Amino acid sequence: MGIEQKIPEGILTTTLDSVINWGRANSTWPLLFGLACCAMEMIATGTARHDIARYGSELFRASPRQADLMIVSGRVSNKMAPVIKRIYDQMSAPKWVIAMGICASAGGPFNNYAIIQGVDKIIPVDVYVPGCPPRPESLLYALDKLREKQASESIRTSTQEQLIVEEIIPLGA
Amino acid sequence: MPFDVAPTFRLYETQRTLNPPGIPALAPLPTGETADIQQVCQQFSTDIRAAGLHNSNQVVYVNPAQLKALVAFLRDDPQLQYQTLIDITSIDRSQLPLNDGDSRFQTVYQFRSYTRNQHMTVVSDCGGEPPSIDSLTGIFRAAEWPEREVYDLMGIRFAGHPDLRRILMPKSWPYHPLQKQVPLGGEEVPFTFTWDDPEFESLGTQVMAAESKAPDLPPGMSRENMIINMGPHHPSTHGVLRLVVELDGERIVSIDPDLGFLHSGFEKTGENKRYKDFVYYTDRMDYLSAMANNLGYCLTIEHMLGLQIPERAQVIRVIMAEMQRIASHLFWLSTHVLDVSGTGMSLLMYATRERERILDLFEMACGARLTVSYIRIGGVWQDLPDAFISELKDFLRVMSRKIDDYEAMLTNAPLWRERLEGVGYVSREDALAMGLTGPMLRGSGVDWDLRRDQPYSGYEGYEFAVPLSERGDCYGRYLVRMEEMRQSVRILQQAVENLPGGLYKSNDRKVAAPPRTELDVSMEALIHHFKLMTEGFHVDPGFFYHGIEGSKGELGFFVYSDGSSKPYRLHVHGPSFNNLYAIDHISRGEMLSDVVTNIGSIDIVLGEVDR
Repeated sequence: MGIEQKIPEGILTTTLDSVINWGRANSTWPLLFGLACCAMEMIATGTARHDIARYGSELFRASPRQADLMIVSGRVSNKMAPVIKRIYDQMSAPKWVIAMGICASAGGPFNNYAIIQGVDKIIPVDVYVPGCPPRPESLLYALDKLREKQASESIRTSTQEQLIVEEIIPLGA
Repeated sequence: MPFDVAPTFRLYETQRTLNPPGIPALAPLPTGETADIQQVCQQFSTDIRAAGLHNSNQVVYVNPAQLKALVAFLRDDPQLQYQTLIDITSIDRSQLPLNDGDSRFQTVYQFRSYTRNQHMTVVSDCGGEPPSIDSLTGIFRAAEWPEREVYDLMGIRFAGHPDLRRILMPKSWPYHPLQKQVPLGGEEVPFTFTWDDPEFESLGTQVMAAESKAPDLPPGMSRENMIINMGPHHPSTHGVLRLVVELDGERIVSIDPDLGFLHSGFEKTGENKRYKDFVYYTDRMDYLSAMANNLGYCLTIEHMLGLQIPERAQVIRVIMAEMQRIASHLFWLSTHVLDVSGTGMSLLMYATRERERILDLFEMACGARLTVSYIRIGGVWQDLPDAFISELKDFLRVMSRKIDDYEAMLTNAPLWRERLEGVGYVSREDALAMGLTGPMLRGSGVDWDLRRDQPYSGYEGYEFAVPLSERGDCYGRYLVRMEEMRQSVRILQQAVENLPGGLYKSNDRKVAAPPRTELDVSMEALIHHFKLMTEGFHVDPGFFYHGIEGSKGELGFFVYSDGSSKPYRLHVHGPSFNNLYAIDHISRGEMLSDVVTNIGSIDIVLGEVDR
């Protein structure tokens, strides 16, 4: 191996992708944003017993500009839907979404006039968590799944980065 | 191999053919007399259509023209003293067998006399197209939000209401969802395994499209002042509450709460479910006190059925309800402290430590932490496991010391007192006029607790004090809630010591399902089980309002039965909804940061506010 023999000791080489993904997967900051019953379990996940800090996700940010992860914790009503869409749009890429619980995933028991049948009708979802509400352990498992997804992403092929590029090109043209 | 069987539409409701003849039926007229009824009849002789007792509640049917006069009489007469308006709801009777001249809509009012410990229901017709009736806002301020809710969901206009806007639904919503001709909505669920099936075409097409409209200036606010938007995404609004705050400098001029961001159509859903199937929905209303919601709903239906609950089930229910009260108050405490004070995060961790122990006990009893559905119509779902009582005793031993620990951190802490004392003041008169309940009422010096004054589930057999505070501010309500936790521990200690043996749910097989073991050996049990699961049980025609003392205030359920196995009309009186009405009143003249203190002190849960 060429380059590693030439550089001084104590220096490792790796790919840019793995460094970036390592950073992203270990400090995914969620948005401080609760909707319904699932939000109570989300808060329980944040407290001492379940300790979401082990995942580097204990810093719930109130501002969407500082958050990487939106945990949609509860049912999404017709009145709330535009608000969620706007908050999602305000988050800066890369960003991920966990649909926590059956209401956010598919409407759950509320198949009626008021509730949107799944938040994926308005924003893209990365991980769905079943349960009504899911236990804190389920949410932590969802974070595990999200880390797997983050680890397999590449900045060359990531749709999230492409989104940004597509947004920039028309401005320069 | 793909399935060919693809039913195109499945109606989730009781099959009408199974119903006995005579359904649907109107509620019978009240019978009997009481002193209050006599007095009302004397005063308004010809304008009272019917009066008496119905399901052991005092009910008066009054002509709409005399409604305001009657209500003013109820409030002001020295012998009646109905000081407060608890709840307003309405019924759309279009699917009931009406006689000629009967009006389609009715409004139903619940009044309460705290000094005389009396409850009265007033029913009035709403004629006209669109239906309209006089507003009670001039007599009771408490009528303002419930009337807006009735207008929003049922379309009844209230003449003389100062601000009749939609309150829960988006303002561009085209119809009033609780009217009977409006469908439940939602999407059809495809029951198919083949992707070519045309059923999949319906996927993702909601009945109503969501529409985003720019908000406009709430009435009464002036652009001269600064107008700030708080929420619906805000860390201190305890959920998806939106407050439009008008500020003069940093002083609050007025607040206009915008609700409905979590409106989930509970009432309409309940009218499309069998009685026993709505228990699971009650969990998801006030999700911080699911047990209390289960209890309130079950007690209402059991009273309409005339069902006797076994002694052991009663005590188990009290244990669960009081544990839930402690859990709910712990969550209130931790979030309130987090909002207000610098020591917040540590108290959140401490209080949730104890709350997790309660949730563990719930899990032990029923397998769920939050949405428990443990209390069912007829009793509880299953008996307590053997280890439960010893674990609970261990918890109780620890808990009273922990409450002292929290108080040591807060009660005399200068920062805590500075932020709470004198903030959010409600006088006794205002609390009554605004229809506040629970700790909001007791924090203003009104000595009232439904557990003591109108006992249910055997609360009359327990010794406990009702904490009171004359202060009327956030600090007073803080002291009341802390003492309530201690009293709950006291009730729990008595209940644990006196837990009787026997049945944990009613033996009435027409209402409560037989235990699983019986199904294997008894044909009769199997038939009862089948009937209950496919058809449910019928409730005699009539209506009933019943309130219990939830952790946040009076949690009431109003059920109108047409004799079938589904409620014809189901209304929930959420304490948070009425208590939140006070936010504008108590915050005026205070600083912007005090709004956060006040929200925490009112202790709202948006699932219950919006329903």
